[in-house]
This record gives sequence, structure tokens and C-alpha cells, in this order.
Amino acid sequence: MSREVYLDYQSAKPVDPRVVEAMLPYFTERFGNPASLHTVGDRATAALEESRAGVAAFIGAQPDEVIFTSGATESNNLAMIGFANRAKREGAHVIISEVEHISLHNIGKFLEKSGFRVTKVPPDQFGRIDPDKIRSRVTDDTVLVSVGWASNEIGTIQPIPRIAEMLHGTGVALHVDAVAAEGLLPIDMSAVPVDLLSLSSNDIYGPPGVGALYVRKGVRLAAVTIGGGQENGLRSGTENLPGIVGMAAAAGISADELSQESARLAKMRDRLIAAVLSTIPDSHLNGHPTERLPNNAHFRFDGIEGESLLLSMKDKGIAVSTGSACSSKTLEPSHTLISCGLLHQEAHGSLEFTFGRFSEDADVDRVMEVLPDIVARLRRMSPLYETR
Amino acid sequence: MKSTQYSEKTLDHFRNPRNVGTLEGDDVAVGRVGNPVCGDIMEMYIRVRDDRIADIAFQTFGCGSAVATSSMTTELVKGMTLDEALAVTRRDVADALDGLPPIKMHCSNLAADALHDAIKNYRSGRKLEPMSAEEIAGAGTGCGVPAVAVIEGIGDYEGRGVYTAVTDVTQLADKRVLIVDKGVASARLALELTKVTPRVVFLTELDALGLPEDLATQVKRSDVKVLFQSRLAAVRGEGEVEKALIHDLDEDNDYELFVDAVVLLEP
Repeated sequence: MSREVYLDYQSAKPVDPRVVEAMLPYFTERFGNPASLHTVGDRATAALEESRAGVAAFIGAQPDEVIFTSGATESNNLAMIGFANRAKREGAHVIISEVEHISLHNIGKFLEKSGFRVTKVPPDQFGRIDPDKIRSRVTDDTVLVSVGWASNEIGTIQPIPRIAEMLHGTGVALHVDAVAAEGLLPIDMSAVPVDLLSLSSNDIYGPPGVGALYVRKGVRLAAVTIGGGQENGLRSGTENLPGIVGMAAAAGISADELSQESARLAKMRDRLIAAVLSTIPDSHLNGHPTERLPNNAHFRFDGIEGESLLLSMKDKGIAVSTGSACSSKTLEPSHTLISCGLLHQEAHGSLEFTFGRFSEDADVDRVMEVLPDIVARLRRMSPLYETR
Repeated sequence: MKSTQYSEKTLDHFRNPRNVGTLEGDDVAVGRVGNPVCGDIMEMYIRVRDDRIADIAFQTFGCGSAVATSSMTTELVKGMTLDEALAVTRRDVADALDGLPPIKMHCSNLAADALHDAIKNYRSGRKLEPMSAEEIAGAGTGCGVPAVAVIEGIGDYEGRGVYTAVTDVTQLADKRVLIVDKGVASARLALELTKVTPRVVFLTELDALGLPEDLATQVKRSDVKVLFQSRLAAVRGEGEVEKALIHDLDEDNDYELFVDAVVLLEP
């Protein structure tokens, strides 16, 4: 068998070797607790603050607007629960979009149990949120809106600058989960009035287990993790210094290579989309035709089920992802696909390809060598598929 | 345990499924089961001779374990008497596959259910084929539209996503349109709309298209998505149409479909 083909970069990314190199000294000779008052501690503080400045520069923020966390899920928790609890006296209504990552949907459920009203905004058929649909849901009681910069699943990019401008100055805060977009799209907090922004280190080829939350100056949160008061009291716990140094190194590389790398990925994506849609009958692109992440190609195939597709691809040495229910813990199909207007059986037939830094043109060729036959084989045994 | 953590035997039956296909003949009965929520639909065909399963075939839309359990079920029961086959349980199928991930036990349930359904249909002499369009058209139902049921909320969205007439299809460009079957005019409109939007859903209470044959063929070949045995139960949304609640007459359950417009042509 030929080499393994990994096209599931949205699930996990390898750490860039340059990042590993930057991190290594901080496990051994450059260890230290930034809270200590001796030289070792001072050195750790310097590394921590330098890293903070690096991550801030990556998103056009000020260093003191960056809080390090253990990853995007924690950032989302701190942003949503921390903000909602702080703003409780001003209002108890939160708005999120239907196409958010599962962590935000579950945080929404948690807020409902804590006495908040949570409203969801449906997307159009391409997964785009219309700012007017947010506006029509804002009431005097609304304190927070959360919309992801792009969908981690179908890759649709949201009109964040327009949403941010619309909410700016109205007293309603905007949280943006930028995990799917970071490293692929330019993100500039000095130009877009977002209040809270979640980042993950691994999604820019940094180490897993690290993330950050951007908190615009003047935006106040209640801490969710209580302890020694690190990170301005918002995220207690001794800082994960090697991880934080790694995230900053990853951010630096990402910023340098972003435009070139995104163009390279978009080319592969476009080639795969064109090949699949022209070669495989009754195949469809999910998500937006143009406003989509440069690394994301998301398809559905009439009459077949995604997990069967995924297993067959796995047998050919190709790693991909699916929105099928059969591969999820709940056996529910992807809420993102359903909210785009797909029927359950259509959502089940979906397959997601995400390219990344170590993807090559040959990966697209390999997919096209095997995918048409796999689809044809599964369709032959499907009672739902009829040639038109 | 991961939902795809399958035994070698399960993977073998997934990769090389036995007895895939359909059977035909007077001594053949079909069983069909499906769970639209978790996405598995299965058909079992049995040929019965001297009260034994002489031949068996299946078709499956489903995940790895749905395929594997269908395949394994056909192997297990081939040659059995009908009573013996009725005694085969989901547990037997799962055991024969060296176990299944717990979350997937419902899939093997389906394979045994489809078999039991086929045996029941054989014994009752029931043929499980949907009526053809001609049969429905000839049944004297005119355009095939059943009595109007109450659609909750429909009055609130007049002019805000609910249409009783569409004079210019471009007003629905790029919208997800749900058209309720009102006969020929509604089907023609559905076809027309596929020129301006990729998403047109045609909702009919019938289990086949009750349209003249050439029009039915056109709809089948088009990008119109037809939902059979379905009734519009409610229209929902924040100030405008955002979702349709659809009642599945076959499964007797409701589900929400995200749409931007609902078309109910008035005669």
C-alpha cells in the first residue's frame, strides 16, 4: 500500500517541527514558574510575556488582551459562561448560531440550565449567517452573541466584520470562535470590533492542550477556574510554559506563511471539488461555493452513508471525516448539515476533507483513484440509490 | 469504545458482504425496516421453498455495522425453516460477528427485524411494493391531493415566507423552497424553481408521484427532492419562515426541516 493520506486536519494537526524545537528548552534548562520571584521565575515570566505578545500580534491585539487557556473548549467556556455570569444583571438572553461547534451548543444548554434564555440563529443553505437574522433576535435582555469565524465542519466563512459592526456600541457583546479560521484567514482585532475570540494552539500546528482567549480591553468576565489568580485572575493554574511558548512560535510561523499557504491549499481544495463533482454522479458540495475555508471540501453522495464511506477510505489508507450520525456518540447526524436544510439521510451521506500544511497534490490524486469506485460499490448495495 | 471499533469479522462482512442484491418471483417476500434518525434502512428478500429459506438477499443504506449485520444475518438463516429464522435475535447476529460496539446494537436489531418482517409478509402473502404512479392516478383521486389538514402557524407567515402563488420564480432565488403537492401545477413550479435555487423539496402525502407519467419522470430526473408520505404539520421561525415541521406518515413521527420558503399553491 502507498503511504497514508491524512485529510482530516480539522480533527488534529501535527505539531510543526520548528515549533517542537522552540519548545524543547522549556521542558528542561528553561523550566520555571512565572510566579516565582527568583531568577528562574523571572526568566519564565519573560518567556510567558514574550509569548503573549507573539500571540497578540498574530491577531492584531494588545498583549494584555490575551489570556492563555488549555485550549479552545476552555476559551469558549470562559468567554460564554464568564461573560454571561458577569452580565447577568444587565440581561439573561444569549444568541448563538446553529452552525457552531458542539462545545458551544453544549455551553448553550448549560447556560439555559443556569437561567439564561438561549436563542439559535439558522444559516442559509450554504451555512452563512445573515446579520439581519441576528438583529431580529436581539432584545433588551440580550447580552451576548456567539458566531464562529468559520465552520469547522463545512468550512463556510461567516461575515464577522459585518456582524461585529452591527453589534458594536449596542451593549451586546460578540464572541467569536476562531479555531477553524485561524492560520487560514487573516484575523485582525484592531480592525474588527469583536469582544471575545477563542483560539487553539494545535489548529495552527502548535502543541495540543493550549489555547487562548482574546478579551477586548474593557470587557469584563467572571472567572470560571478559581485558584492562584494567574492570567489576570481569569484563568488560575500555573502556566503551561512549554505549551505557551509553542503556541507563540506556531502563531509566528502561521502569520509569516498564511497568505502563501492558504493559496496553496485553496488550489488543492478546488482541484478536489472539481474532480469529485465532475466524476461522481449525484455528488454535491456542502457549504458555500466561494465563501469557504481554503482547506475544506465537504461533499455528500446520494444513497450512501458516511461511515461506510469513511471505513472504505480507511481501508485504502486515507483518513477523512464524516457528518454521519453512525460515527457520532449520539447517533444524531451533524447539526450543522441539518441546519443547512439537509434531510437526515442526506446528512448521513457526507464526507469531509480538510487539507493542511503537509498535504500534497498527490493526496488529491490518491483520493480520486479510489473514491469513485467506493461510492459505486456502496451504491450497488443501497436500497436508496437509483440512477436517474 | 469508539463507534467504529469493529471486530475483524464485522470488518470482513463490511468489506465483502455476502448475498447483496434483490430477489424476484412468486415465492419471494420482502421485509423493509428503517430508522430515519440514525440513518439505517434495510431490505431483506427471502425465497421460501418447503417452509425453508432457500435463498436470501439484502440491500442496506447504513453504517459499517448495518452492512455487516445484514450480511451476517443472511448467512445465519440461509437454509433455516421460517420458525427457526424467526427465533434469530439481534444478540445472535452480534455474537456471530464477535460482538458490536454497544452504541451499534440497534443496527443489528434492524437486520433481524427486516428478516422477521419478510417472514411475516411471506406468511400473510403481503407484497411490499409501493403502488405505481398509474395505479394511484387510476384510483380516482383526481390530482391525488388528500383532504387538507391543519398547518399550525401557516397564517402568521403569509408574505413572510409562505406563498400561495409564485408569479416570478426569481423571488425565490437561492432559497430553500418547500412545495406542498397540489398536483400538476405544483410539480411544474418545482421543476421551474430548480433553475434558480439548488434546493427544492416537494412534499407529498402519497408514496409515489401521483402525476402524469411524463411529468413524474421529469421530476425524478430533476434536482427536486421528493419527500413521500409526508405532511406539512407546522411552519416556524423568528418573524419569517425558518423551519417546517414535517410529519412522516409512514413512521408516524415529526421532524424539523430548515427552509426559507413554503409554497402552498391555491387552486
